[in-house]
Amino acid sequence: MRTETHSEQQPMNRAKIMVVDDDPDLRQALSLRLRANNFDTVNACDGYSAIALAQKERPQLIILDLGLPAGDGFAVLKNLQEYPALSVIPVIVLTARDPEGNEKRTLESGAIAFFQKPADNDELLGVIRASLEAGMGGGGGLPS
Amino acid sequence: MEQQPAHVLLVEDNPGDADLVRLRLVESKSDVFVNCVPRLSDALACLDAETPSLVLLDLNLPDSHGAETFRRIMEKAPSVPVVILSGQDDEALALKAVHQGVQDYLVKGDITGKQLERALRYAVERQGLLRALEITRKQQLEFKNQFLSHISHELRTPLTCIHQYVTILLDGLAGPMKPDQTDHLKTILKSVNQLHAMIRDLLEATRADSGKLRIDQRCIDIGELMQQAVAMMRLTAAEKHVGLQSALDQAVPLVYADPDRTLEVLINLIDNAIKFTPANGSVAVLASIVETDPAAVYISVSDTGRGIPQESLPQVFERLYQDPNSVDDSRAGLGLGLFIAKEIVTLHGGRMWVASEPGAGSTFSFTLPLYSLAKLLLPVITYEGRLRESLVMVRVELTPLSKSLRGSWKETCEQCLERLRLCIYVDKDLVLPATGTSGPVETFFVVASTDVERVGILIDRIRDQIGSLPRLKAGGTLRVTAEKIPAPPAADSSILEQQVWGIADYVTEVIQKGLGSKQNFTEKENHENAN
Repeated sequence: MRTETHSEQQPMNRAKIMVVDDDPDLRQALSLRLRANNFDTVNACDGYSAIALAQKERPQLIILDLGLPAGDGFAVLKNLQEYPALSVIPVIVLTARDPEGNEKRTLESGAIAFFQKPADNDELLGVIRASLEAGMGGGGGLPS
Repeated sequence: MEQQPAHVLLVEDNPGDADLVRLRLVESKSDVFVNCVPRLSDALACLDAETPSLVLLDLNLPDSHGAETFRRIMEKAPSVPVVILSGQDDEALALKAVHQGVQDYLVKGDITGKQLERALRYAVERQGLLRALEITRKQQLEFKNQFLSHISHELRTPLTCIHQYVTILLDGLAGPMKPDQTDHLKTILKSVNQLHAMIRDLLEATRADSGKLRIDQRCIDIGELMQQAVAMMRLTAAEKHVGLQSALDQAVPLVYADPDRTLEVLINLIDNAIKFTPANGSVAVLASIVETDPAAVYISVSDTGRGIPQESLPQVFERLYQDPNSVDDSRAGLGLGLFIAKEIVTLHGGRMWVASEPGAGSTFSFTLPLYSLAKLLLPVITYEGRLRESLVMVRVELTPLSKSLRGSWKETCEQCLERLRLCIYVDKDLVLPATGTSGPVETFFVVASTDVERVGILIDRIRDQIGSLPRLKAGGTLRVTAEKIPAPPAADSSILEQQVWGIADYVTEVIQKGLGSKQNFTEKENHENAN
């Protein structure tokens, strides 16, 4: 298991986002962009560490790739549902896979949105902000 | 390897002929099992119960004649080889049957044991080969599709990486950029976007090839879509100093089409038109109704470009077609755009064609079906030749937590329609196809045969069903309201059809008011200037 954590000296209101992707370059790029937009990030590189890190860090939102080692994105979605505290965290799927066949399945598995790579940065940020504002963000708390 | 037909189904109504064939069969091969039936219906029943290695078929039976006989047999058991027993007088028909997939024919009276044995053995072998060929062809097509789908996935990953880091640099997230550095990065980004579009086209064309391209038809305002397409292409046109405008015949009613796909077609045609139009030229998008074809809307994209040579016109919609004279426009794409556009229009039941005059420009036109509410309403709101007494229109409005959740929202809307259909009585209520494209609110309509007093039950049912959708629970809002549909004036109550039209018109008006963009369109019409 390998995880990367980036948290800067944080004011309390910075939301923490977990990025799950097996490509280190993409993880880094996405984290960079999120931090530039005033989010804290924690990164996981496979399905197993995603669950472990979600338990430990309680992020307010998860960005999840589908093709992952040690438990693919669908397995992660399923596992998150099994922990009440994690099941409330909104998950945005960001994958290179075709929406056909995958979009419906991810949404049925509990994800709130599906983006195909390469995704439009502004659109992705828009959905992240909207779902955080809507109070869907859990981090252990309950949706209002 | 030799394959001996071991089990023959002989379909022959003449007992003399049947005995003769049976005799010849047994002569040539002692262990053959022959099942003889006199009628087509018997033969079809036999094929239900068993799979013979071959069918030996007389074309003229008591219950079927000629070509119909072998067609029915082949439809029932496409994998079983068929050999026809023909008389002297219908040899021509037998030959025709061979062209349509029958393996062979034998002329009665000329049959010898040896000839029969040979014919049957070859028939079985040929059929086996054909089947193997067909299976291979299907496997290859499947392989090609999987291959392309895999390739496009694998290409996307490095492409995403390039996209991410280029935008990080462009957005200044890694420090300030000098102006010419920004320009270079923009050039990279443009190429990345082109590559992205090509990967998408490749997949789309594969889907079209294998019949997997799907459309989701809705009731849409074509004027609004044209406006949207023009707005999206305005920058591209301005960069090339090409004028871009759209106009709509005021009388164009709602169209029944997939909004995303239609937008794709419009963008594709406009993009092409701009590409082949020199500076100071113009591109116009028009929608109108043609009197001779009142069930469709005609949409055209015209340019003042260099046009297409007559001899190339038939090929422009073909896969991989590229304009051979395209020098200055450099990287034009894969040449799949028009092919995909035409496939999309064809899936809607429309047509697409091109007219062009070299030097004077080209016009690409296509048709889309109009939305006919009356056709949908007729079986629901009439009963025993009369209009149902009380009709109510229920409006279901959904607001998502964010407009940009479009992809997911689309799924939610589909689920919503499915659930609405569970709430109604199919023989007297109707869930109207989804409407509109714009705005954060998604509105659905139900026309129900009930009165305002009793509609409360329906509203409660809808609230229960839709309110429990997980996505809506997570953050959207739901509003369900009902209004009475006024009865059409008594004056034209004599003709049922007119009454249905009246109701349909009323309902359409309510829907259009909901869409709300129709009136604004003329004011907002785009007149982009070349400079």
